[in-house]
Amino acid sequence: MMKNGFFFFIGLLAAFLLGWGGIPLLAHKQIGALAPFYDDGESSSFPTRPPGVAARGQLVYADLGCVACHTQQVRRPDFGSDKARGWGDRQSVARDYIFQGRPQLGDARIGPDLANWGVRKPPLDAGGIAQFLYSGVVSGAKAVTHPPFPFLFDDRPIVGEAAPDALVGLVDKTPRRQIVPTERARTLIAYLQSLNNAYEYPEARHVVPVVAKEGAHK
Amino acid sequence: MSSTSTHAEVTAADTAGRWPVLLLLASGLGWLVISGIFALIASIQLHSPTFMSACEWFTHGRVGALAETSFVYGWAANAGLGIALWVLGRLGGATLRAQNWAMTGTLFWNLGITLGLGGIATGEATSFAFLELPRYVQPLLVVAYIAIGISGILAWSGRRTEGTYASHWYAVAALFLFPWLLIAAQTMLLWSPVRGVLQPIIDGWYVQSVFSLWLAPLALAGAYYVVPKITGQALPSYEFAPLAFWTLLFVGTMTGGRHLIGGPVPAWIPTLANAACWMVLFHFIVVALNLRGALTGGGTSLTFISFGLLAYFAGAVLDAVTSFRGVALVTQFTYFTTAQQQLALYGGISMLLLGSIYFAVPRLTGRPWNSGSFVRGHRVLAMVGIFLLVGSLAVAGWIQGTELSNAKTTFGEIAGRTRPWLLAVTVAQGFLLVGNILILVNFLRSVSDVWCAGAVSQVGAFRQPTTMEVHAS
Repeated sequence: MMKNGFFFFIGLLAAFLLGWGGIPLLAHKQIGALAPFYDDGESSSFPTRPPGVAARGQLVYADLGCVACHTQQVRRPDFGSDKARGWGDRQSVARDYIFQGRPQLGDARIGPDLANWGVRKPPLDAGGIAQFLYSGVVSGAKAVTHPPFPFLFDDRPIVGEAAPDALVGLVDKTPRRQIVPTERARTLIAYLQSLNNAYEYPEARHVVPVVAKEGAHK
Repeated sequence: MSSTSTHAEVTAADTAGRWPVLLLLASGLGWLVISGIFALIASIQLHSPTFMSACEWFTHGRVGALAETSFVYGWAANAGLGIALWVLGRLGGATLRAQNWAMTGTLFWNLGITLGLGGIATGEATSFAFLELPRYVQPLLVVAYIAIGISGILAWSGRRTEGTYASHWYAVAALFLFPWLLIAAQTMLLWSPVRGVLQPIIDGWYVQSVFSLWLAPLALAGAYYVVPKITGQALPSYEFAPLAFWTLLFVGTMTGGRHLIGGPVPAWIPTLANAACWMVLFHFIVVALNLRGALTGGGTSLTFISFGLLAYFAGAVLDAVTSFRGVALVTQFTYFTTAQQQLALYGGISMLLLGSIYFAVPRLTGRPWNSGSFVRGHRVLAMVGIFLLVGSLAVAGWIQGTELSNAKTTFGEIAGRTRPWLLAVTVAQGFLLVGNILILVNFLRSVSDVWCAGAVSQVGAFRQPTTMEVHAS
């Protein structure tokens, strides 16, 4: 086989096909056609499609490389501290992502998981998120823990009245100027606010293993 | 050192076919320095988050993508292809054919990387690990790669001996398989994207395949050639080498799912990866047995190859151990996985390639390395740098992982506790960068001597083992 060129190449091709067929294609066969779950009780299906502005925001999230530090996948309650940290009450499942153009699962938690950041506690409104992105300071914290992203904002003179979404607090320090979120910042904020996987699918329910009673036969 | 290694070996096949190989190696070393600059910036941002963050081109995510892309597609690809072509040419026993194809392919490959890096910096990255290059340069890369590969395949098919050798298998496998991988991945992820979590599943498969079917074979092609050349002995346990080769190819790609443990994917994917991680250890054990002669030999090439061999093996063992759920509970999502990746890519692949480069360049240029002290400096900086890099990342990752599992620890506190180790990572990146500048400068000076002086070979110098192999001790 090693000497015969033809069979050697057949072997190489087989190695590629086995890997490709074994993982991408098999997984695609299994979950490639995953449909939304229709809930009779609520007369609607889940997950819901993200609003267009949030879908555009995901592109900003992707192009800034937020995924380098933030995951968007909650592990099941007895596997890690995800639930205890308030990142989500249930594990993330494949169905959560079917309407996401480019799911940002991530593989590093230098910052918190964001799978349910839109419904985080304490809640943060659009203005709060904008302040945070601009300054890098989480409300209440003293130090900068997140890189500030001033390039997502316009620093421009106030003509007439200040823009309704101009950052509060910064306007006063620099009279006649204001810091206003750009279009990209607005879509990113809308995306962050849309992150919510609260709906409980049948496959996402946490199964608590039955613990044998004390003294029972082991 | 045995007498075989002192035998002058600069053949006509080397000198007549040197420019495509030297161009590939020069590009690779250039990208290695550039990637080191990006990696240094990214490492500073880990302990000082405001560093360059006001500049949109250099957010941590983008710098990380730039560093990774220039390392994999710039450094490892160019250097690996250079070594593969050189090895195939030598084993073929004839001057490299289709040299113009290889040269043109190299230029276009590097043009594609350059354009792609510009795209990543300006926000066109795809956000897929190892496939960050924007969609518009991807087809160019496929074509350019095939143009380079043709030269190697011709050297293989036109070889003057009937038998083949382990270096042949690894080099040809890498040349042949990568275009398939790249086309499959870009079709399913970029041109006609699959839905939902299939994307991270496929990306995980691609990342692992790049390692198992492309970078590792390229590095091993060089090591399998260089080690017996220097030790002058037949490889021990060589009868297992074919099985080890096929094990890597067939089982290696299955190990990619280990990063998806506990994730929103079908559970068989990480479970399969766990089993595959242990099966593929057979490959690593055989490679270590085959090449163990490197560990006892002296000289620059063998020092790099020994280091690379140990790191390659240690990386596989760590991958297998962390593919268990209980261990992944701590190490997943932390710097520990970064440490593992750096151990495999820098400690393993890069050191193996550098060992082959130190052996190949004097034979390609027909004269010894320009500066022995630069060689020694690079050798020390590279080894210390990788030790410090991988060790600090691993400790930082372990602290991060144990603190993450305690829900009361805030991210600010975790950042504070990992900070000393992250500072050490920056120091390590600094060492590596300086070391890589040394080899780049040394390489350029060595090659420019030939370029300017013409093809006058100093073959006589090769009768002296000390000038052929620069010794540090």
